[in-house]
Amino acid sequence: MIRFRLDGVDVALDLPPDRSLLSALREDLGRTTTKVGCEIGRCGACTILLDGEAVNACLLMLWQVEGRAVTTVDGLAGDPVAAAVMRGLSEENAFQCGYCAPGVVATLTGLFAADPKADATAIAAALEGNICRCTGYHSILRGALAAARLLEARP
Amino acid sequence: MRVIRPASLEAAETLLAAPDARAAAGATALQVEWAQGKPRPAVMVAIGALVPAGVTRRNGTVTLGAGTTLQAIQRAGLPLLSEATADVAAPGVRRLATVGGTVAWGAGCLVPALLALRAEAETTAGWLPLSAYLAAPAGLLLSFRFPEPGADATLVWRKIGFRAAFSPAVIVASGVRDGARLTLAVGGGPVRPALLSGAAAALVEESDPAVWDRTLRAAIDAPACALRSADYRSGAAARAFVHGFCGTAAGSPPARPRPAAPAAAPALRRLSSEIGGARWHVRPDMVDKIAGRAGYLTDMRREGTLVGRILRAAHPHARILAVDTTAAEALPGVGAVVTARDVQGVNAFGIVFQDQPAFCTDKVRYLGDVVAAVAATDADTADRALALIRVDYAPLPVVDDPEAALAPDAPPVHAAGNLVTTLGLTRGDADAAFATAAHVVEDTYITPRQMHGFMETEGGYAEVLPDGTLVVAAGGQHGARDRMQLARILGRAEDTIRVITSPTGGAFGGKDELTVQPALALLALKAGAPVRLHLSRAESVAAGTKRNPMRIRMRTACDAAGRLVAQSVDVLSDCGAYASLSPGVIETALEHAAGPYRIPNVRTEGRLVYTNNATGGAFRGFGANQMAYAVECQIDRLAAAAGLDPAAMRALNLRQPGDPGFLGQVVAPSERLSEMLEAAAASPLWTPAAVTGEWMEGTGMALAWQGNGLGTIPVDESAGEIVLAPDGAIEIRCGLDEMGQGLHAALAAAVADRLGCARSDVRPVTGDTGRAPDSGSTTASRGGYVVWKAVDLTAPSFAADLKAAAADLLGLSSEALAIVPGGVADRGRNDGPRLTFAALAAALGPERRPSARADFSFPKTVHTKGNARFIFCAGAVVTRVAVSRVSGAVRVLDLHLHTAAGPVIDLASYLGQMEGGAVQGLGFTLSEDVVMRDGRMVTTNFDTYLMPTIRDAPARMTVTACESLDPGDPYGPRGAGELGIAAITPAIANAVADAAGRWPVVAPFQPEALLAGALEAYP
Repeated sequence: MIRFRLDGVDVALDLPPDRSLLSALREDLGRTTTKVGCEIGRCGACTILLDGEAVNACLLMLWQVEGRAVTTVDGLAGDPVAAAVMRGLSEENAFQCGYCAPGVVATLTGLFAADPKADATAIAAALEGNICRCTGYHSILRGALAAARLLEARP
Repeated sequence: MRVIRPASLEAAETLLAAPDARAAAGATALQVEWAQGKPRPAVMVAIGALVPAGVTRRNGTVTLGAGTTLQAIQRAGLPLLSEATADVAAPGVRRLATVGGTVAWGAGCLVPALLALRAEAETTAGWLPLSAYLAAPAGLLLSFRFPEPGADATLVWRKIGFRAAFSPAVIVASGVRDGARLTLAVGGGPVRPALLSGAAAALVEESDPAVWDRTLRAAIDAPACALRSADYRSGAAARAFVHGFCGTAAGSPPARPRPAAPAAAPALRRLSSEIGGARWHVRPDMVDKIAGRAGYLTDMRREGTLVGRILRAAHPHARILAVDTTAAEALPGVGAVVTARDVQGVNAFGIVFQDQPAFCTDKVRYLGDVVAAVAATDADTADRALALIRVDYAPLPVVDDPEAALAPDAPPVHAAGNLVTTLGLTRGDADAAFATAAHVVEDTYITPRQMHGFMETEGGYAEVLPDGTLVVAAGGQHGARDRMQLARILGRAEDTIRVITSPTGGAFGGKDELTVQPALALLALKAGAPVRLHLSRAESVAAGTKRNPMRIRMRTACDAAGRLVAQSVDVLSDCGAYASLSPGVIETALEHAAGPYRIPNVRTEGRLVYTNNATGGAFRGFGANQMAYAVECQIDRLAAAAGLDPAAMRALNLRQPGDPGFLGQVVAPSERLSEMLEAAAASPLWTPAAVTGEWMEGTGMALAWQGNGLGTIPVDESAGEIVLAPDGAIEIRCGLDEMGQGLHAALAAAVADRLGCARSDVRPVTGDTGRAPDSGSTTASRGGYVVWKAVDLTAPSFAADLKAAAADLLGLSSEALAIVPGGVADRGRNDGPRLTFAALAAALGPERRPSARADFSFPKTVHTKGNARFIFCAGAVVTRVAVSRVSGAVRVLDLHLHTAAGPVIDLASYLGQMEGGAVQGLGFTLSEDVVMRDGRMVTTNFDTYLMPTIRDAPARMTVTACESLDPGDPYGPRGAGELGIAAITPAIANAVADAAGRWPVVAPFQPEALLAGALEAYP
């Protein structure tokens, strides 16, 4: 049994320890909010938060998440930083097909949680591992900057 | 696999003595290794908790625990190392990966930096120099230490990669000059990490850069790979050291003619949310996409659904002797195994002609060929079943080059031979004109096998409904055509099949042809249960259609004044194993062979050739962007020869409104080429070329002239339907697909603008043959017209019927009412609806709810001598780039994209199409190519197929739109889907030539060639 916290709920999975977290989420638990793009850590579509930090779910094997907190975009409902990120991205129409979006939301939520004042340079550095094929990235950057303004305006 | 967490280092070492045991800390390299076919170990020994982690700086020594993550090192502010770490992998990987893991792995980019810092390694066997550990790794790594370089030390770090960030290394160069001590090291990628001790000793007193360069090139031992030569590797690393330790002198580029600013620059609207004002709307699908609940077809999870897997060819070219599925069928948990024997109809598909088998029978022609498929209770069982299918092959010689494929003795990919199609035209006398022309330029432009790289790979589900309807739901671009092709394969009436094609996570042409639908359908029918299937990235890379690689030989001439007199064009294109839409692609390329220019004497020839390479097909631009690369470079080269600036040359030769099209056809009104050219000429980016230290900067432009629609010959019909739904939503039903371009936003916008309701009152129904009419394909920049025309034709009668029905209910006259957001209101008052759409729908009941349907054709010419487009859209790209004199890498600094595609339906979607197309074009230009060798992929996944990251996108990008139409132009919005990519490559190429003095003729641009040109221009 591998035990960890998933989106705020304790789970115990009877799965092989070398199964990837991504595969466990999508295939075993049917949690498809987290997307699959390359399965080798090169596109960021499956980015989740591990103890609050953005990492690739496809690179993590279940034994590595034992006892830790895994948060997908499903678990970010109610998170004020994530809410600002999602609103900023939405206002700027950051995405097109949207398949990379949950990974970008996880990355930016991790970034702004650690550094609410992240600027364009920090945002671009944080997003180096999130490939988007549709937008050319400028709309995502504008959305992230809109999120930064929303966070700055918070009381 | 067992995972063991030993209690001590001694216990760990005992466990690791077993041959099939492996130590793991961050474990970030393992998925790549396993994906490349290395076996999984039987035992994983987790040592992360046993090795020290953290950074200490004491008494001039830095100590790193081997368990320190790369992110921690990046943040520690360490000399050289922190900067270096920022260039390794990406943030998500750096949070997991450890420095001990990267050193033990042996190939990490960080190793040369540690070597240059004279690091020592502590292992369970004691301390030793890092170089000694690398030469003979033994024991478990515990920590590293190195002396802090002095405050005035020179620190050099350079990772040369394939793109700006998150790239595998081509080579890494790192060095430290600290007082009288010089340490140099290389490594990264395939380069064995090594100290360059001999070179360092020879250079420590040397100040002549030429000696440095010569000594280092001789000292660096770097291998070649499929993408970069050994000379490039060692030369670029040598240049990095020279630049870092000796500096690079500035140069003075020659003054080249610049466009004169036009008297009155056209007023073009710059597109953005700030300037968009009331025209800027959040797309209706945006919030759900951001929350990850957009309902992609590969996300369907339902109890009782089987998981499908496809068995593909084991050889790129082979005869199939036998297929034995007995053992797979007998495996518990397997619901169905299908092969060609299960195909009831015609075992062939293809949009243009049907040369591709749904399941192979007698031979396989490329690695993506389908031999069998299975459906089982879970993915593991399906994988096991796949492995139990026995296929006996007799391999055939592989033909992997289109030139070789045309040789008389080449192995035939198909029985009828390897030449798929040949076409061309002759107008005037090109040879005579070349003979007397003042200037002639000739070159061969080579374009890549670009991959669509949609983030959601091909996949979906299929099931048989209780009424017998077969539902096939998989990302696509024309559901009705997919249904027709499926019906033919399955031997089943079309009206018994429902095809759902969207939403899909990107397509760009790559989901135009059938992909997984035949396998899904046959599995669901045979298993009698729902089946889902989602290709892995590697399988998608192998199986999916690609952009047809082209070799474009082009000869172009002008007179002394710069007027074009002749052009000859010879295109040889790799079709891959099956035709799909490749015949249309080469035809479109040739239709764009003169770009938007008048050339009196022309000769074109194109040949499309079967090989055992990846199958070509539709991809945004559809051949036109490949051709524009050659044409627009030729124009700039002739301009240089004739002493004209790029804009003057184009103005002199520009086609004029009303001119016949390239094939002699009539062209639609509202041509906006001169407006685009003026905008380009007025650009602030036309500053002189500059050479400052490492970077050579230059500016270039190109014009875009992109045909819309399928052309004269294919059927190009469409339809749309508008209905007041029972819940009061105004449903606009359109069979196009939402694949990211903003179809739902466009439909909502078009209906709301036309009726007067709110966008939120509109419910788009798309991508489902069961719920929307056949609107044709979501390709060829035809969607914008289809949306606009469908609404244009249906809205008037729908609005009249809706108001009449409301008037009837309210006892008023129809003229007294108006449609407003939310419902129907008194005309001339703005106090909200008197009757909501929901109340109206409820009151009317099913018989009386208004609806309207329109069937219409995409606009065409009557020209039938060739397949000719009628509608064209125009654009111009101006870009400022920087080319590195160290690596030959190109950075796009500024990119201005001017577009004229008629009225913009939805501002955000249009802007997105332009920006996204531009960066996809940038990838084609600078980094993307599916490299193949002997019919097999060298680039198998996103570790080697390198699409632009956020760092590769232009640093600054602006998009403008010219929305006007000629008075009386009845054709509405032009296509926006392909305009963004149309002229990116030549604009960057022309800017590179301005910066570095040489036109790149191979895309993606070869840094080796650019570097050679730079060294020639600025030695």
